[in-house]
Amino acid sequence: MSGTVEPAGLIVAVATRGDRSAFAALFAHFAPRVKSYMLRLGAAPEAAEELAQETLLTVWRKAALFDPARAGASTWIFAIARNLRIDAVRRERRPAIEDDPSDGRAEVEPDALVAAAERGERLREAIAALPPDQAEVVRLSFFQDKPHSEVARDLGLPLGTVKSRLRLALARLRGQVEDLR
Amino acid sequence: MSVMSIRHHPSEALLTDYAFGAMGPAQAMVIAAHVHACEHCRRQVEAAEAVGGALLDELPAAAMAENALDEALALLDRPAPAVAPRPAPTPQPADWIRVPPEVAAAAKRKRWLAPGVWVAPVDTGTKGGPLSYLLRVGARLRMPVHTHRGCELTLVLKGAFRDGREVYAAGDVAEADDSVEHSPAIMGREECVCLVACDNRLVVKEWLGRVVQTYAGI
Repeated sequence: MSGTVEPAGLIVAVATRGDRSAFAALFAHFAPRVKSYMLRLGAAPEAAEELAQETLLTVWRKAALFDPARAGASTWIFAIARNLRIDAVRRERRPAIEDDPSDGRAEVEPDALVAAAERGERLREAIAALPPDQAEVVRLSFFQDKPHSEVARDLGLPLGTVKSRLRLALARLRGQVEDLR
Repeated sequence: MSVMSIRHHPSEALLTDYAFGAMGPAQAMVIAAHVHACEHCRRQVEAAEAVGGALLDELPAAAMAENALDEALALLDRPAPAVAPRPAPTPQPADWIRVPPEVAAAAKRKRWLAPGVWVAPVDTGTKGGPLSYLLRVGARLRMPVHTHRGCELTLVLKGAFRDGREVYAAGDVAEADDSVEHSPAIMGREECVCLVACDNRLVVKEWLGRVVQTYAGI
């Protein structure tokens, strides 16, 4: 993030104070990236723009549900974008598996924001350090929206090979996500 | 009901597809229901979502319309879009693993196909698309031998079945693809209730037809 404030802190500022300049900073960073993601997955430019808008508006509305101890800012925003896209493209609603939001949220400790930022940083480093064959299948499934069976077909690899690469990659990356909890 | 004993989890590849949104609604329903009850797989999905977040973060910025931010700011105070009121959740049978409300509600639509066997479609909002459904098979019954064209996912909600050398009990997920020909048998004295997703609606119709033939003696 280009600004000086971590995105997790910005979401918390939106949640606790309805802070519009924090929203603007989140918008400046994430809306163009969400749009970019939608474009890569084949959305038309207007649809991609609209989904990016809707994603950030959802961030504003649901900011109080953001819990930096559970997910980083980009993870949380990615999940919102993904769900909006699924709604739009497939007209399908996913069953909710989140905890009941009416449970309310504990006060956010400043430490949780620092920890979230560190986790994000370590995860990025771990992704960059993945062996190329593992990184390839992870990126293909993410950026092409293809189930692993299609990724295997595209790469001319046996299904079992793709499955084991994803397993190894996820095991390695999961360590970075959970270490600091 | 305790699901500490889950032995068959969905593959990491399926959990990643689910987290990345690269999965059809029928299979997503089964994975969501498993993750709902399985802390281990919930963590896997969260890890894959974190990877998704990191990859989103490193994407190049696409140019937004010039007034995009102003438009967004103008919309901040608009009331939240009306969300269709959710029907009061159907209480789920106490002897099933914990399932999402959509799955519990599906049981109301059950149709008996044959003595001991009922099915109930789970509405995923896609007409004519892939299908997820609840399947109840009475104790000691065996399914007719069948194969799957496309991938089939089965989550056991109650009871257990044996397929070849493997036993699948409550909370377990069985993945079958078209290389598998099988004839699962229900174990023990208890009925078995599963949530099943199949890529191919036609295959489901044919196969349920076989069930009717086999047990109703048509």
